[in-house]
Amino acid sequence: MRSGKYWAIFKTQVANRMAYSGDLAAHSLTIVMFMWIFMQLWRTTYSVSGSDTLAGLTLHHTLWYLMLAETIMLSKPRLSRGISQAVKDGSIAYLLNKPYDFLLYQLSLGLGDSLMNTLFNLLAGGITVWLLVGPPPEMWGWPFTLAAMVLAWLIDFCVNALIGLAAFVTEEVSAFEWIYSKFLLLLGGVLIPLDFFPGWLQQITSSLPFAYTIYGPARLFIEPSLDRFLSLVAVQILWILLLGTLVTLSYRKGLSRLAVNGG
Amino acid sequence: MVNGLKKTFQTKRKAAGLSGSLRALVHPQYQQVEAVRDLSFHMENGELLGFIGPNGAGKSTTIKILTGILYPTSGEAEVLGFTPWRQRRQLAYKIGTVFGQRPQLWYHLPAIDTFYLFGKIYELEDHFIRQRISFLAEAFEIQDLLETPVRKLSLGQRMRCEVAASLLHQPRLLLLDEPSIGLDVVAKQRIRDTVKRMSELEGVGVLLTSHDAGDIEALCRNVIIINHGQIVFQDKVSNLKRRYLTSKLVEVRYAQEVSPTFHLEGTENLKIGRYGVKLRFDTRQTPVEGVISRLAEAGSLVDVTISDPTLEEVIRTIYNEQEA
Amino acid sequence: MLRELGFLIALWKANLQAAMEFRVSFITQAIGMMLNNGVYFIFWVLFFDRFKEIRGWGLDEMFILFGLVASGFGLGVFFFGNALNLAEVISQGQLDYFLSLPRPVLLHTLASRSQYSGIGDFTYGIISFFLAGKTNPGSLVRFGLGIFLSMVIFLSFLVLVQSLAFWMGNAQLVSGNAQNAIITFAIYPINLFEGSGRFLLFTIIPAAFVGALPAEMVSQFTWWNFLKLLLAALVFLSLAGAAFYSGLRRYESGSAIQIQI
Repeated sequence: MRSGKYWAIFKTQVANRMAYSGDLAAHSLTIVMFMWIFMQLWRTTYSVSGSDTLAGLTLHHTLWYLMLAETIMLSKPRLSRGISQAVKDGSIAYLLNKPYDFLLYQLSLGLGDSLMNTLFNLLAGGITVWLLVGPPPEMWGWPFTLAAMVLAWLIDFCVNALIGLAAFVTEEVSAFEWIYSKFLLLLGGVLIPLDFFPGWLQQITSSLPFAYTIYGPARLFIEPSLDRFLSLVAVQILWILLLGTLVTLSYRKGLSRLAVNGG
Repeated sequence: MVNGLKKTFQTKRKAAGLSGSLRALVHPQYQQVEAVRDLSFHMENGELLGFIGPNGAGKSTTIKILTGILYPTSGEAEVLGFTPWRQRRQLAYKIGTVFGQRPQLWYHLPAIDTFYLFGKIYELEDHFIRQRISFLAEAFEIQDLLETPVRKLSLGQRMRCEVAASLLHQPRLLLLDEPSIGLDVVAKQRIRDTVKRMSELEGVGVLLTSHDAGDIEALCRNVIIINHGQIVFQDKVSNLKRRYLTSKLVEVRYAQEVSPTFHLEGTENLKIGRYGVKLRFDTRQTPVEGVISRLAEAGSLVDVTISDPTLEEVIRTIYNEQEA
Repeated sequence: MLRELGFLIALWKANLQAAMEFRVSFITQAIGMMLNNGVYFIFWVLFFDRFKEIRGWGLDEMFILFGLVASGFGLGVFFFGNALNLAEVISQGQLDYFLSLPRPVLLHTLASRSQYSGIGDFTYGIISFFLAGKTNPGSLVRFGLGIFLSMVIFLSFLVLVQSLAFWMGNAQLVSGNAQNAIITFAIYPINLFEGSGRFLLFTIIPAAFVGALPAEMVSQFTWWNFLKLLLAALVFLSLAGAAFYSGLRRYESGSAIQIQI
């Protein structure tokens, strides 16, 4: 079966990463550190504000939100480098001869990478936050959150693919990578829950894909409900379709350019 | 001057696999590696000395000790009046080094910029730097290359600039570690000639380590062969060849076809072709005269070549002798 | 020390010349870094817009803090770029090159490389300071002093941690984390932390000396704070030197992890 080979690629990458579990453990220290800092910041903020909730969220909620948001940010697949490199040095032309689709290959690779990262970060971050504020507000949200996370990764993959494929047009795409990750940090809700934003800003963020990559799943986790889940997934799928189409078009266009120019 | 140099490294021994790693963490086992064993030699000022030996023989370790980068487990050494590992900085002003594997010139800059930087590193006067640069540029024929970024130069051109850079501060001793690695025959020859000429002009001593026997042959008067951390031969290059020159190689071509069973008593056939033969014989057992006359009698000679074994083969013989 | 200044200037000149070879990349990196910092700037604007102030820290104080850390960092990594990957230099045997030359090894190694994006950090920091609106000749001088001391402590900390490479194989991982940690902690107001956490930031990971203390010195100078900062700088500088040179001794004995025979 054709999809069998992508599953194999995914599995290999997971096994690959497992071999470096020492590395992964060390990297998950980063999230521990962030959680501790956020705890200090938000605990003080809440106590200074004099109320238990801000924008409807308690300290408890905020911290678990940030943990999830940070995990998604830290462990999402890093792909645009691989794609842009393949385009730049022309090796993408050779990969076309292989009996697999280049983009799907990259996707499987990236997901394999992400799995281990996510697990370690969730574990480290989860334990830290549990120790700091106690158990998560609701536990039953897990499976839905995970589903939303996978969709989030797909959105992220599409954006990364677009950035990587931009190499067909411009040499250096690292600037775009940067800008994208900065947008995610701010407009995606990594640094601060979007609930705390002024209304006009919230309107902007809800019309951009970034909020559905980070904010969506994280927010779902702390206050799970079927409604929230369905509306989130619906928008996510919309964005995936939109971006996915753009990716496929750019890919085809880029390849035809390659065929004409000879790479 | 080096006396009784000894250098032992301690390396950890580790069994394979995860359990091996865990065990190593809890109970590390150390293994002694004697990189250099009781090495002693003497080098005159301005001498051209070659160091040759197989990988792991202890060449690099010795060079590192002589430059003060490593200190020995025991023994003494004195280079230009300094004990290298104790007076490294003072020694550094007087020696130049070129490591074939580790370039000194800044990759993205034209060589001349590194030259000026070196001038500052060695605290040279500005006009002296300029003088040296023009002198070395001419000697190494790199005048046109100096303004080009090093990354755009070919390996041969880069090496010429590297060696020139190492001579900027007029060192008394130049240490070359595998300088001709990766170079083609022409480039090698150029470097060898220039280094030799510089040595004659400025009286710089040259200590050269190499895998390439050709370097040693072309450049050095004396050679030290090192194996397993010990000196196995120490003498003039010419003596090396003379003492171990016990065989000759002869290649002949005849006007007629050669029989496939061609064989001369006391010789060893290396190759039999349609019109020619290549054979080898031990001069101690079979006199040259007999071989030549028998070859001449065997048919009408069209061509004949008689050659000595290469330095390469000589050295290999010495290694084998040592193993035995 | 003065003797080395001429040499250092020549080294920095060479770094700058190499940077010019990649003019576009240089500028892009600098600008990119400024944009990067700009995002955090926006975050704090939004944060303080909503929460007004936290225990005496408002937007202005954040600007000064952030600016100081950014400028100190930028200056440090621009002039002593190898402080960021000293561990790698050590474990790959690249110290041999510096050891064979007649200049102080640590200084030569650190200054032989330049992180060009540091210019972006530095510029951003200066802008951030001006935006705080507390500029006057006095505060400017104190800002400059603060940057310098922050830089010294930051670099010393890096050298200290990276010197672990003389003793352990994978020091790069530890130093990477340590580097992240100190910068991250340094740009948060110290009032947020209490007890043992606070103690940590003055000792093991001296982020307080890199950020909070010098920043405070700019807004409200006290001789006591200045003295503490100076002392910390001297202590960490000596620790760094001691760590590096004792590690170097080990390196010269050949028993450092990576030996290339």
